[in-house]
Amino acid sequence: MTMLLEVDDLRMYFHTRDGIVKAVDGVSFTLDRGQTLGVVGESGSGKSVTAMTIMQLIPMPPGKVESGRVLFKGADMLEMSEDQVRKLRGNRIAMIFQDPMTSLNPVYRIGQQIGESLRLHKGMDRKAAAARAVELLTLVGIPHSDERTKDYPHQFSGGMRQRAMIAMALACDPDILIADEPTTALDVTIQAQIIELMTELQKRTGSAIIMITHDLGVVADIADKVLVMYAGKPVEYGVKDDVYYRPLHPYTWGLLDSLPRHDVNEKTALCPIQGQPPSLINVPSGCAFHPRCPYATSKCRSEVPALRDIGGEHFAACHYAGDPGFERGVIECAGVGA
Amino acid sequence: MLKYIARRVLQVIPVFIGVTLVLFLLQAVIPGDPVKMITGERAMSPALRLQIMKANNLDKPIPVQYVIYVNKLLHGDLGTSYQRGRAVRDMLGEKYPYTVKLAFAAIIIEIIVGIAAGIISAVKRYSFLDVLVTLSTSVLVSVPVFWLGMLLQVFFGILLKQWSGGQIYMPISGAGGLSTDFPDWVYLVLPAITLASVSTAYAARIMRSQLLEIMGADYIRTARAKGLTSQAVIWRHALKNALIPVVTFIGLDLGAMLSGAILTETVYNYPGIGLEIYLAIGRRDWPVVMGGVVLVVVVVMVINLIVDVSYAFLDPRIRYGGAAE
Repeated sequence: MTMLLEVDDLRMYFHTRDGIVKAVDGVSFTLDRGQTLGVVGESGSGKSVTAMTIMQLIPMPPGKVESGRVLFKGADMLEMSEDQVRKLRGNRIAMIFQDPMTSLNPVYRIGQQIGESLRLHKGMDRKAAAARAVELLTLVGIPHSDERTKDYPHQFSGGMRQRAMIAMALACDPDILIADEPTTALDVTIQAQIIELMTELQKRTGSAIIMITHDLGVVADIADKVLVMYAGKPVEYGVKDDVYYRPLHPYTWGLLDSLPRHDVNEKTALCPIQGQPPSLINVPSGCAFHPRCPYATSKCRSEVPALRDIGGEHFAACHYAGDPGFERGVIECAGVGA
Repeated sequence: MLKYIARRVLQVIPVFIGVTLVLFLLQAVIPGDPVKMITGERAMSPALRLQIMKANNLDKPIPVQYVIYVNKLLHGDLGTSYQRGRAVRDMLGEKYPYTVKLAFAAIIIEIIVGIAAGIISAVKRYSFLDVLVTLSTSVLVSVPVFWLGMLLQVFFGILLKQWSGGQIYMPISGAGGLSTDFPDWVYLVLPAITLASVSTAYAARIMRSQLLEIMGADYIRTARAKGLTSQAVIWRHALKNALIPVVTFIGLDLGAMLSGAILTETVYNYPGIGLEIYLAIGRRDWPVVMGGVVLVVVVVMVINLIVDVSYAFLDPRIRYGGAAE
């Protein structure tokens, strides 16, 4: 059986006046039915653009797909007509966005907005769509949903709006749900609720999830596989336990080191990765991470490392990954708040 | 909502007092003897003069005159024209329908042309049409209305007539009336275009910038992610949001147009309330000026109220309730 989604060497470049921005530069991954893929990386690492490219929501121009394939159940979405893609969008592949405050249309009722995809993709009439919208709102845990579908977005709190967004995305029972930082704009207690809701709904509907986040904790909770991105490129990719417990790439080490841990003394300083993510117009030569990498050598400065299988479907884009003796050391770190 | 409307209606009172007071004081300060306006330049006995002054309450102190005037006003009596000796109410009642006709003709042009040009320009951004709209609106907002009116008169009334050997031309003065050269509505065309020009250009620009801004909004991305066609995204999701400020602008503009377009009506010698007020100012016919302005103030305030209330229907985030403020 073919994979549900197979992304192969996807490149999305933006042709701007200042130069070519390689926002997504050779991303590959596979996603099977019911699986969850966590995509992590700093701001500007190309996580969202990857998702938007799959959905083909990037305006072109200025964007341009330079290469790659996006195989949905074996069919290349990049080869499809706009109309064919439109029929998948919101139907087989749905997306929820970062900011629920602005992602709902302020002048339409919640129920209308949820019902819209049902009427579009399932051919439901107004009444059936409205009834289904009530069920969906109940499903995502909004009480008095029959009343609440008549509300406008501004009458909902942030957490409720994100629930409504999820209801909207799940309306047509999609095969894939792409969640682009769904919890970033919410406060912490609500974040946990939303993640819990998503995993619970996944169990019920069996849809696959691509969870884009910079929160490694969220990924640890729900992901089966993890893709770590840096400067538009994948730097490490594998099953969650491999990436978390046996990370291979110095960037992943850095990400994990910058997390607060509950098993160490709270007085110990956090250890962030030094420096800033690079500008995507002017990506450093060789390995894009070399200016910030404590292990960088002259080879790193000149040669771009390929993403290679280090063993057991665990990929890393580092010249030295998997070498005996190349291990995550205790980095001397200036720390923050020390 | 009713509470809000009631409060807005009550706000009319101070504005009404302010406007009438200022006007009344102005007429007292501005030189010109009202008796002479009434009788014309002629010699008269002091007794006759006093009689005329008494008949018009001009012998009383200004504050008393003001109170008398307001009292009459509230009873629907706008006074009598100095010059014509006719009731101001009747005079304005004759002229006002012309202004209303002109205003609605202009507002229809503004709605159709302005909104359509704005939408085309935003949807086909950077296309030839967009450049055309952007350029022509820039020109239109900077052309003085009276000059545009004269240009149209010269072209459609004179040059076109010459070129076509007297066959094709447009009327450039008046509103038809007894003349049978054209049906009455033809007389509206050029004045309406002239009156609508600047506002249409503004409406197109507001429409364009609003639509462009909203096309970048997150909820438009959501709508596209649902799989809607780009037409559905624009017409259903973007337009309703983008129209809110445009409707405000056009609504307020309707108020302004219903106040009489002094420049347009003067250039086209169009018998509306704007021309009437303009002529009355020149003649120092204060009852007509006062009556005209009071009428305009009331109309503008009613229109503004309607615009404010219509907001709530367009934008659910705005609901006028007792709890607010």
